[in-house]
Amino acid sequence: MTETEKKRKRAEAAKKKSAAYGEDLDLDQFEFSHEQPRRMDLDEVSEEDRDLVSEVGFDASERLASGSYLQFDNESILADVLIGQEGLEVIPTSEALEKYDWLSDYLWNAVPVDTDKYTAASELEHYDGYFIRAKSGHKIQMPVQTCLVLKKGKSIQNVHNIIIAEEGSEMHIITGCATPSDVERSLHLGVSEFYVKKKARLTFTMVHKWSDKIDVRPRSATVVEDNGVFVSSYAILSPLRSIQTFPKVRLMGRNSRADLYSVVYGTKQSKYDVGGALILEAAASSGKIISRSIATEQSEIIARGDLIGKHSGVKARLECNGLLLSDEAEIGAVPALRATSEGVELSHEATVGKVGADQLNYLMSRGLTEEEATTLIVNGFVQLKAPDLPPSLQRSIDDAIKLTLEKGL
Amino acid sequence: MTDDVLLDIKGLRVEANGIPILRGLNLQFERGKVYAVLGPNASGKSTVAKTVMGLPEYEVKGGDIIYKGESIVNKSITERAKMGIAYAFQSPPAISGVKLEDFICRICPDYACKEPDEELMGETCMCRQELYDDFERLGIENLGDRNLNENFSGGELKRSELFQVLSMRPDIVFLDEPDSGLDYDSLKVVGRELKAMKEKANSTMVIISHHRYVLEFVEVDKVYILENGRLAYTGGMGIIPELEEKGYDMFLAQAAS
Ligand SMILES: Nc1ncnc2c1ncn2[C@@H]1O[C@H](COP(=O)(O)OP(=O)(O)O)[C@@H](O)[C@H]1O
Ligand SMILES: [Mg+2]
Repeated sequence: MTETEKKRKRAEAAKKKSAAYGEDLDLDQFEFSHEQPRRMDLDEVSEEDRDLVSEVGFDASERLASGSYLQFDNESILADVLIGQEGLEVIPTSEALEKYDWLSDYLWNAVPVDTDKYTAASELEHYDGYFIRAKSGHKIQMPVQTCLVLKKGKSIQNVHNIIIAEEGSEMHIITGCATPSDVERSLHLGVSEFYVKKKARLTFTMVHKWSDKIDVRPRSATVVEDNGVFVSSYAILSPLRSIQTFPKVRLMGRNSRADLYSVVYGTKQSKYDVGGALILEAAASSGKIISRSIATEQSEIIARGDLIGKHSGVKARLECNGLLLSDEAEIGAVPALRATSEGVELSHEATVGKVGADQLNYLMSRGLTEEEATTLIVNGFVQLKAPDLPPSLQRSIDDAIKLTLEKGL
Repeated sequence: MTDDVLLDIKGLRVEANGIPILRGLNLQFERGKVYAVLGPNASGKSTVAKTVMGLPEYEVKGGDIIYKGESIVNKSITERAKMGIAYAFQSPPAISGVKLEDFICRICPDYACKEPDEELMGETCMCRQELYDDFERLGIENLGDRNLNENFSGGELKRSELFQVLSMRPDIVFLDEPDSGLDYDSLKVVGRELKAMKEKANSTMVIISHHRYVLEFVEVDKVYILENGRLAYTGGMGIIPELEEKGYDMFLAQAAS
């Protein structure tokens, strides 16, 4: 039996396996696409779609990007690398798998194919997605931008992404997922596998904008080798039907590091189950998980964070802070620390609360209205300063948050 | 009552959490003058300031607060602040993610950049250079890019509060123990700032304090002594040495007889 056949067999066996967290969705309610997506040009992207993707940080002029990947449903794909940009590859996953035999070793390596029914279905059905690679030793200065757009109702957008930062390389990816507000009930299934090789640095900044009929089930995992650095920043600022995501990072190399930042701004009746895990397996590995949740209207947020220390001397920190802005909303913080070796240093802080009356009164005594004071407090609360993020990416996160707060409060 | 009365507290009764604190207090404050409000611990000094500012846990059960000729008891904190009332908190809450300098530029338009400069690398000009010069005068230039009140030391809190309320250019400002916990050098800085403000004579200052240093330095016009939620004594700065010698109990007993 070939490796591919083995994976398929494992997927078959996991077809009914519910996920550990989140509402169990009935996949029969949605339809997978059977067609191979076609390649398209930037001129084919309508004005309307350009506006939509710009809301999640995709610049359709491509001026400030070293590479771009844009996918609509499972139908059309744009993949480009700036002319003259060396050491960077941005192509559809399907194409990459044909081009490189070795790539199959990376497929379903970080994320086990039998994780749950979503990964199983993803493998068994037709998929595409992006393959992005920074070649050994290349430092790609300008960000690579990607965007996945879901426009079709009742369907499943099934993507499988593979990102490799080869030895000594540096790469910054900004990725957005967006859907027009009137789309019918659909599911976004996104598998992402990240490989950060020795001494490589990879930052991954993701902004999500869904609508309230969309279910989202990302399945992602990262492997970091010796002296590698992985920084992920995630902002979900729009309503949706439900999201459940729990990216895992395995720090397998000596002195490797990973920082996961996330901001969840809950609105309407959306259900967010968002978390992350750091598995510190090698000497001197370290990292942190920082999450900020704000629940408004009737939203429900569960913020999870797991730190697992398996090697003496590793160090990690978890901060999980929630702010409730509505009596009908709910936030749960679920921090977990586990050490399986001596001399592991793990710490956490979890808080859930309302905006303090004493803070409000104080700011109002300086002449701010109650609304202004609330906005200022919430703004301050979500300030996420990821020290390794290039300023342009920090700005796109800041801008997205600012826009949401202005609209929301 | 003269035209110069800015704030008139009349027969004020205030409760917090059902506990009576002010029990029929009468106090008048004139424009541009400096007052010391003294009294033993728990006599209600801070409560006066917080009630005038409008903090909701202090419930007005009787009497009235007339400011600039109208009752303000039903006005919000924001409205009172906009009418020119300011209060320097004794223990202000920390606001994370909000830098002191950005906050001051926001509450005090004098410091905000007049015309937003060209965006240079996303950095917009928030504050004018004057802000930093003034920070230096109060010795808090190191606090500008720190989160508001977060991990400030006692002395830093005092100076940052003072800076904020003064830069709002209020018509009346309540300074609640602006001198407590300060070292000698900081005490001088605070005294100098208050005096400079008095000389500009555009704000009425109400200083709640136990120490004579700052009061003498700014030359207080009138001293009020509270006891048990009522006004017990009115006088001038001249009484301070005697008060210090005898203590409140004996001083007030003798004054009453
Ligand atoms: N929020 C409150 N709830 C209950 N009691 C309070 C509250 N604030 C003040 N008090 C009480 O009122 C009295 C006067 O307090 P305060 O005005 O702070 O005194 P001073 O500033 O003169 O020392 C004290 O006995 C104090 O414990
Ligand atoms: Mg007091």
